[in-house]
Amino acid sequence: MNSRVAGSLNKRARHLAFAPYAIFLLVFLVWPGLYVFRSAFDQGSAPKNPMIEAVTGQYRSSFIFSLRLSFVSAILGLVIGATVAVALMRLSHVRGLRNVVVGYSAVAANMGGIPLAFAFLAAFGMQGLATRLLKGINIDLIGWGFRISDFWGIVLVYLYFQIPLMTLVIVPALDGLRRTWSEAAQSLGASTRQYWRFVALPILTPALLGGFLLLVANAFAAYATAFALSAGSSKLVTVQIRFFLQGETITGKTNLGYALAAWMVIITAFLVLGFQVLSRRAERWRR
Amino acid sequence: MRRGRAGAWLVLVVVFVYYLVPMIAMTRFAFQRIPVIKLSFGNLFDKWTIAPLIETFKEPEFRSSASLSVQLAIATAALTLILLVPTMAVAHLRSKRMRRMIELSSTLPFVVPAIALVVGFAGAFRETLPMFIRSPFGLVPLYVITALPFTHRALENGLAALDLRTLVDASQSLGATWYRTVVFVIVPNIRASIATAAFLALTVVLGEFTIASLLLKNTLPLYLSYSQGQNPQGSFAVGLVLILISTIFVASSNRLGKVVRS
Amino acid sequence: MTGKVAFSNVSKSFGAVKALVEFSLSIDEGELLTLLGPSGCGKSTALRVAAGFETPDSGDVSIGGTSILSLPANKRGIGMVFQNYSLFPHLTVTQNLEFGMRVRNISRDKRSARVGELLELVRLSGLSDRYPHQISGGQQQRVALARALAVEPRVLLLDEPLSSLDATVRIEVREEIRRIQRASGIATIFVTHDQEEALAISDRICVMSIGRIEQVGAPDVVYRSPATEFVARFVGKVNDIEIEVLSSTKARLHGHSQEIEIASAGKNAGLGAARLLIRPEDVQIVRPDSARPNVRGTVKTINFGGATTTADVEISGTGHLVRVADSTRNMRYRVGDSVHIAFDTERALLARGGA
Ligand SMILES: Nc1ncnc2c1ncn2[C@@H]1O[C@H](COP(=O)(O)OP(=O)(O)OP(=O)(O)O)[C@@H](O)[C@H]1O
Ligand SMILES: [Mg+2]
Repeated sequence: MNSRVAGSLNKRARHLAFAPYAIFLLVFLVWPGLYVFRSAFDQGSAPKNPMIEAVTGQYRSSFIFSLRLSFVSAILGLVIGATVAVALMRLSHVRGLRNVVVGYSAVAANMGGIPLAFAFLAAFGMQGLATRLLKGINIDLIGWGFRISDFWGIVLVYLYFQIPLMTLVIVPALDGLRRTWSEAAQSLGASTRQYWRFVALPILTPALLGGFLLLVANAFAAYATAFALSAGSSKLVTVQIRFFLQGETITGKTNLGYALAAWMVIITAFLVLGFQVLSRRAERWRR
Repeated sequence: MRRGRAGAWLVLVVVFVYYLVPMIAMTRFAFQRIPVIKLSFGNLFDKWTIAPLIETFKEPEFRSSASLSVQLAIATAALTLILLVPTMAVAHLRSKRMRRMIELSSTLPFVVPAIALVVGFAGAFRETLPMFIRSPFGLVPLYVITALPFTHRALENGLAALDLRTLVDASQSLGATWYRTVVFVIVPNIRASIATAAFLALTVVLGEFTIASLLLKNTLPLYLSYSQGQNPQGSFAVGLVLILISTIFVASSNRLGKVVRS
Repeated sequence: MTGKVAFSNVSKSFGAVKALVEFSLSIDEGELLTLLGPSGCGKSTALRVAAGFETPDSGDVSIGGTSILSLPANKRGIGMVFQNYSLFPHLTVTQNLEFGMRVRNISRDKRSARVGELLELVRLSGLSDRYPHQISGGQQQRVALARALAVEPRVLLLDEPLSSLDATVRIEVREEIRRIQRASGIATIFVTHDQEEALAISDRICVMSIGRIEQVGAPDVVYRSPATEFVARFVGKVNDIEIEVLSSTKARLHGHSQEIEIASAGKNAGLGAARLLIRPEDVQIVRPDSARPNVRGTVKTINFGGATTTADVEISGTGHLVRVADSTRNMRYRVGDSVHIAFDTERALLARGGA
């Protein structure tokens, strides 16, 4: 340790240096978080504890809807995103292709919110351009009951950022696969399928799991896109929470919004923990 | 091998079409003076105009929300940097444990979704510090937290690529104070990742809807959402501009990220 | 089961780079042949063509008389060991060794019996449950070798298997490879750009330069009688001395009056300016009154190298530096000593042209 730095920045000062950041997080993240939980468990004059009411009846189906949406869009995002990454690997001889795709993925992964919803309304809304185009070739989405604000509609929109997010996670992971592994596997008699099944996939598993978790949480927390697609009437938990904050008029149920939010935090934390455990197991060989 | 390549091209083309279609639809909707119902292949090149955008730019509501969004974006970027740069620099210099704690804390917003954060914030601050709820700048701390996972990563990359200890030792052996060291030695050396972090913060704020919507602050995304009814063309046009801006921001932060790594 | 491996007229280019040009070579059963050459000369390409990772532009590769070019890499029965990082990182040593047998659906009992044998063969029985990153580089390469042998390949290809190891481990693993190769009797092609390694391990050496074969022969032959200037320079150290050829048996050092014998070396050089390529151990320090023709010089540097020592001697009058090697016992000179050196040109090579 250098004495001069230590002198000007002694132990006390060092801890002081972290104080602004720590206080900031306490005030603007931890305190609101704790407030959510405190209110969520506060029954007040309501007939039922909000934490219980939040996962029964109407709200239970909201959670199921949100979670299903998150998992379905994450699984599709994983599969398609991985396919794109593998396609890029196959086409590695095409100069510049990878940079373009990865660059656009970074852009698209950050997209979302209102503008993205608009884009899909313009394309796949009732009178959307794509909707009418497809109808012209006898693919009648609306006739089949497809609505952009419904489950599969939202999935279609979410994929716009889920796919590139996954591609961004997998491309570097694929780079980590050494050519010698595939060649060693082949020289030992493995077919391409066996190589992927026994070598590449197990090595990629931690990255895939991490990416999948990212996608699930990403979709679970999303709000704006679904809100705009459905003009504020979506079944999503996030959209439901809004009612309680704005209209504290629903008598006796003031704290239900907090309970919904608390459950969201619990579920996300649970997902993170679960994936931590899975990744750790998939990663045993790293340590 | 050849067959594999054809399949790979097919995958990319299909995905590309999926990415292109909504953007084309939105562009045509916003910038062609043709009723939606009538848009078709036949009139692809007819009646293009940027009038919807110009007209919207003249609206006072648009102006006020655009200016609010820009101010919030700048304030958020500034607060992020003021808060993170010195803290992370000290952590890098002095304490591996602190570095890890900061890293961990930067992923917390991931566990607390924006909607939960804003609900808790509104509840907690309404009773004690209502000015945070009343003033639109009360959004800034929440935005800083929302952007934290991204901004932290950007700065972390920059600091990790640097031999901070040597730099700081050299600076302080010349008698510089800690403050001067941060401003004149550390900051210039990580300016690429500072810019990256700033771009990411700006992108997050310009697109953020959840928090502003629940606190009823008229930012640009809220304006889009409200004006969709009366001025659909204009709001779609502005939406496109927003997409374009965030594309530019992300692309620049990507480019800068490459500078950091090399 | 194993058979003669033969490359015939194999050519392979990558764009403008010709990695192999009309490459023809055969490796006998049980033989260890080394491909030796500088970086980029096409050694790996030759192996990769044989293993099925590259398709040659023309020519054929056969094992035991049958062409293997139409077989995919995983059907060729060729074991391969790479420079490094070729063990599967997520599998333990045992699982790595079992891999080839698992994809062939060999029963569990047979697999574990074979793994036991292999671990013994490479003397790693204690490490069976470790992951690759938990064992040393030398141990990893021994596991890689055992893994390649596990499926009883017809041919073993080793692409610079020692180059990522440090000097002492390198020699240890090299001897291990030699022992195991002898024991298994598998035809083996070993690639290296380290001439000392090649000399130590091979039955025969094939010296390559930019896609072509320069010489094939036993290590002592390649060393003692290099066929070309390239071989002389690449295998072992060589002095490059400007001379003037006077007749088919006589020459004179450039700028010096002393004549030397070039009897056997002079066969393919005309008269006039030439260069004498002679190994340090073929130059001796002799007594001034020696019967052999000799020249006077001054010792400029002494390089102690364990059993042998070399001295750089500057020839008086010409300023030419000549390296002399001898056993350390005989080398009792100091820097600055005045000495006489004689040239034993029997195995030296004459090259055309002055410097
Ligand atoms: N896949 C490839 N694409 C383009 N050029 C290649 C490829 N593989 C090899 N080459 C070129 O072919 C030549 C021979 O390469 P090769 O790998 O066989 O050399 P090497 O003798 O093994 O060298 P080293 O000792 O460095 O491993 C080199 O010039 C190399 O750049
Ligand atoms: Mg090579």
